[in-house]
Amino acid sequence: MQEQILIQSKIEKGDFTRGGEVSSSLKDILRKLGVPSDTSRRVTIVTYELEMNIIIHSLGGEITVLISSEQIKVIAEDQGPGIPDVEQAFQPGYSTADDFVRGMGFGAGMGLNNVKHYSDQLTVETGQGKKSKFIASVYF
Amino acid sequence: MKKHSVLLKEELCEGCTNCVKNCPTKAIRVHNGKAMIRDELCIDCAECIRICAYHAKHSQTAEIADVSSYKYPIALVPPSFYGQFKGLNPARVRVALYELGFKEVIDVSLAAEALSRKTSEFLASNPGIYISSSCPVVVRLIKILYPELTGHLIPFKAPTDAMGEKARKDAIAKGVAPEDIGVFLLTPCPGKNTNIFDPVGIENSPIDKTIAVTQAYQAVLAALEKTQDVAEEDLPVPYLGLGWGQSGGEVQLLHEQVQDYSLSVSGIHRVRALLNELSRNNIKGVRYFELSACEFGCVGGVFNVVNPFQARSDLRRLRAKGKTMIEQNEGYDFDLPGKFEPLQIGRLDGDLEKAMEKLTQLEEEIAVLPGLDCAACGAPDCKTLAEDIVTGVASRTDCIFLLRKQMGDLAETLSALLYELPPVMKKEKTDGKVG
Ligand code: SF4
Repeated sequence: MQEQILIQSKIEKGDFTRGGEVSSSLKDILRKLGVPSDTSRRVTIVTYELEMNIIIHSLGGEITVLISSEQIKVIAEDQGPGIPDVEQAFQPGYSTADDFVRGMGFGAGMGLNNVKHYSDQLTVETGQGKKSKFIASVYF
Repeated sequence: MKKHSVLLKEELCEGCTNCVKNCPTKAIRVHNGKAMIRDELCIDCAECIRICAYHAKHSQTAEIADVSSYKYPIALVPPSFYGQFKGLNPARVRVALYELGFKEVIDVSLAAEALSRKTSEFLASNPGIYISSSCPVVVRLIKILYPELTGHLIPFKAPTDAMGEKARKDAIAKGVAPEDIGVFLLTPCPGKNTNIFDPVGIENSPIDKTIAVTQAYQAVLAALEKTQDVAEEDLPVPYLGLGWGQSGGEVQLLHEQVQDYSLSVSGIHRVRALLNELSRNNIKGVRYFELSACEFGCVGGVFNVVNPFQARSDLRRLRAKGKTMIEQNEGYDFDLPGKFEPLQIGRLDGDLEKAMEKLTQLEEEIAVLPGLDCAACGAPDCKTLAEDIVTGVASRTDCIFLLRKQMGDLAETLSALLYELPPVMKKEKTDGKVG
């Protein structure tokens, strides 16, 4: 199957009231398509984090989700201002001294760290003062 | 085969679509002025029973009279049941149940206490996030709408099931013939009744019949009149386990360390909102979720007689009498024989490529529909009607706005036709002369 667009949506900077809308509709679409539930969960999480990343950290942007026979690809592009230190942005944001919570597995990471964790492949183009582009793939 | 406990009394249905809009799985449509429930989507949550002003939705269970059809009837009493008697001593209520013919009257709270211990131990040694699988409606909801979360359901039987199995086993060990045993659950909800013919997580239900609280209530009141109070020692009450009858009671019985990382949510729509967040990994720092389909937990079940506010407060007061869990020789088997499996429901097509084509059609239909979500078509909203159109169970003219537009177009065509004259009359007027 050729690559086709599943969803494409503009996202405004700071639009928290609509945060999560894209990933919610996407989850619904994936269920209608009969995408395996594990794949669907990973794609939903990746999309949600990228969506929130645009809302919280950027000047606004767009999310596009594509599907082909091999994979689902989430593309997030924003209008800047870019990430100066990519390495640091991918650090797990959530830390606690409590072993009981560390044992959570699912749910421990935050933000971009989650995007990396739940996608099979991730490329990031960014830099200080630049627009950012994330391409995250989840294979079937 | 019987599939559901929530049913429709057709003669009472006015076709109002209140239930259609309130069903959490969008299982109801109104066709020909009557509601109909789609079996594969219904989770027996009873929201439609709650909302129907005409009382057209109902549910049937056994009655107290059925107790005598077994030689050795056993009553399983869920914690919420004790919320129905103004805080009356639970032992006293049990005496009344014996009076009604039960050979054994067993508190499900005992199994609840045992399961709480087991859950705490499990969470301490198994990493990950877990969801309580005690509410069968929540389990069904997850299997249908949140298949990606089924792996997070804790792999244990509900207290009612474990208790039922144990009660049966114990009776047989005492020498009772298996065919004489009838296990009855005094159920607060249709969801638990469905378990009898469609159990979750296990192959066969250990429960033979459920009796709705509404069916048992008056008989129990009458039996209370006839019986005397009992001494605490004779019928010890598992007070702490009684907490399970209302939302939060399950978490309250877990180890303190686990409690700090647990969350209780009740009411099907709120449970859905929570699961939406959970499915996008948007809840941090919580390891265990106690979810109940009914608001306030089991005391909010539709079969209860006393309102959930009263029942909750009475039950809380009873629970407060408990100091420690009751000593019991365990003997429960909480482990599920297999895993909870997700259900593949709501696919547009079994083939991904074909499903994609239908998705495109679906978007086209959505674009054509007015987006008012008025439900006059019998579907809960325009998107669902679009889905029904694409899957071939509805048509565009079910939408009154599209129908109206079509009629308008037709009227225009008609009136245009009206001015078209038959050929014999079609003469050009030229100054009154015939041309
Ligand atoms: S019982 Fe619940 S799921 Fe079933 S039709 Fe009624 S509202 Fe819908």
